[in-house]
Amino acid sequence: MSSKSLKLQNISKRFGNVIALDNFNLEVGVGELVALLGPSGCGKTTALRVVAGLEHQDGGTVLVAEENISDVPAHKRNMGMVFQAYSLFPNLTVEENVAFGLQMRKVSKNVRLKKAHELLDLVGLDSQSKRFTHQLSGGQQQRVALARALAFEPEILLLDEPLSALDAQVRVNLREEIRRLQLSLGTTTLFVTHDQEEAMAISDRVGVMNNGVLEQIDTPDALYNKPASSFVASFVGTMNRIPAHISDGMVEIFGSKVTALRRGDTSGKVHALIRPESISVVATTVRSNAKVLTRSFMGASSNIICQTEDGIIVQSLMTSASTGDLHPGSEVQLQILSNEVLVTNA
Amino acid sequence: MAKGIKVRFQPSLAITLLILGIFVFVPMISAFEYSIRTPLTGGYGWTHYIWAIREEDFLHYILRSMWLAGVTVLITLFVLVPTLTWLHLSNSKVRGLIDGLSLLPLVIPVVAFAVGAQISFPEFVQNTVLELPFLYFVLALPYAYRSLDIGLNSIPLKTITEAARSAGANWWRTITAVIIPVIRGSVMATIALTFALSLGEFTLTVLLHWDTFPTWVTFVAQDNILGAIAISMMSLIIPFLILTVITLFVPERSIQGRK
Repeated sequence: MSSKSLKLQNISKRFGNVIALDNFNLEVGVGELVALLGPSGCGKTTALRVVAGLEHQDGGTVLVAEENISDVPAHKRNMGMVFQAYSLFPNLTVEENVAFGLQMRKVSKNVRLKKAHELLDLVGLDSQSKRFTHQLSGGQQQRVALARALAFEPEILLLDEPLSALDAQVRVNLREEIRRLQLSLGTTTLFVTHDQEEAMAISDRVGVMNNGVLEQIDTPDALYNKPASSFVASFVGTMNRIPAHISDGMVEIFGSKVTALRRGDTSGKVHALIRPESISVVATTVRSNAKVLTRSFMGASSNIICQTEDGIIVQSLMTSASTGDLHPGSEVQLQILSNEVLVTNA
Repeated sequence: MAKGIKVRFQPSLAITLLILGIFVFVPMISAFEYSIRTPLTGGYGWTHYIWAIREEDFLHYILRSMWLAGVTVLITLFVLVPTLTWLHLSNSKVRGLIDGLSLLPLVIPVVAFAVGAQISFPEFVQNTVLELPFLYFVLALPYAYRSLDIGLNSIPLKTITEAARSAGANWWRTITAVIIPVIRGSVMATIALTFALSLGEFTLTVLLHWDTFPTWVTFVAQDNILGAIAISMMSLIIPFLILTVITLFVPERSIQGRK
């Protein structure tokens, strides 16, 4: 596999008055899987299309293995791409679809069919090789599309929300399969999705985009635990925004003082950003500071929604075993489990 | 799948098909019946067909007309498939304008084309019979354009085009290896329409002083009307057979791929 690194430098792209990419920078290492995550219209698909050569940037440079490919046409970029919509060629059989890229590269029929069968075997569809694409399910079609994108050993694999049209269970299975294949083949991969669970589950690093700008790129753990901005904090995972007062770098939450992670303002009103799993709910009648509104049982864990005395809605995620005595209306005490919290302006 | 479909008898559909059948086939059957009459004996025979085939100009003119029709088909596909693909992909506002312009040949008199050709075509084009396919292309434009337009509208053109390009196909290969096979039904309809229209075109050919199969049939009709009808019947049957053979030899794949 001839995987290479990818670098986007100061890419800008406009569609009329809309800025799709604003001085966008990104680096993907050899064999790395990086996801671009963000809400609709944030520019993530545009970034992917610029890499593929399907859109031309207004400014900036696309580098593959440090070589500038900004002006190389799409068909000469040697990048495999899987699309959101089913993109198989309906006039070709499954094996012919997979061999298509090799046919365009003038590889002999025997070699390309052999390679196609290897790839179909990898995605578990070798038995379907003679069928036409309309005879396959959505998940199978996307597997074939993945095999087609990998068959000609691309330098970079581009995935444009390939799972979004599939059923929930198929999505989970296929994303694991994509990761398994990507790791075994060592293909540098850029994966665009609006589904944070998907991005976090299979990526080495996740880039969160907003309004054409990369807000933060980091490992899923770091992104979740140390979001660099308020947007990232609220976009990735669930986050409680609790009004608090900051003084000397400390905020008081539910009666406990914890360190504020933001430097800058030393006093004033702020919002403390706290993950549900960092809040514990303990049933008590003595020093209660909130009431349980709902308890949602989710198997190993339960989701508790409470309302504080000030009327603030707080969400907590706890093991189901420890929440057995919590019911709607229960008097409870909320406690913060973390020693430090991210704060943002109120 | 087809085995499982039960065709229900629908009186309104049957009546429509019957009227359509009468409209199309009665004139043809009548012409055929007329062409096999032998006035001298009062019976039927193949006399006029044998006469037509023995006419030394028959083969010359039918081959010439078929060759010109073939060139027209090539020009039509070569110009229209890339143009329409571009119009569909670019989502350009020009598309509405070109949609309208493509209908103009229906309202512009053929004589205007003939005069226009004589004024605007360079002399070296006017000196060759190959000026006709360019004009036949214009005459067939309203039908060919719509046929291809429907085909391109019925497929996820943008996605499969981008899939082909990202897999390494340049624009030429994208059109020839992906788009044309995927809209094969529309392409075949375009070929049939353009071929038939070119093969039977008379007015423009006469106005530009060229001789093709239709003009020769008219010439023959002056002396032998039954022979001319026999020739006309053959000119219907021969292209039909050719198009059928073409259809049979092009692999039947794309239609079943559509949903």
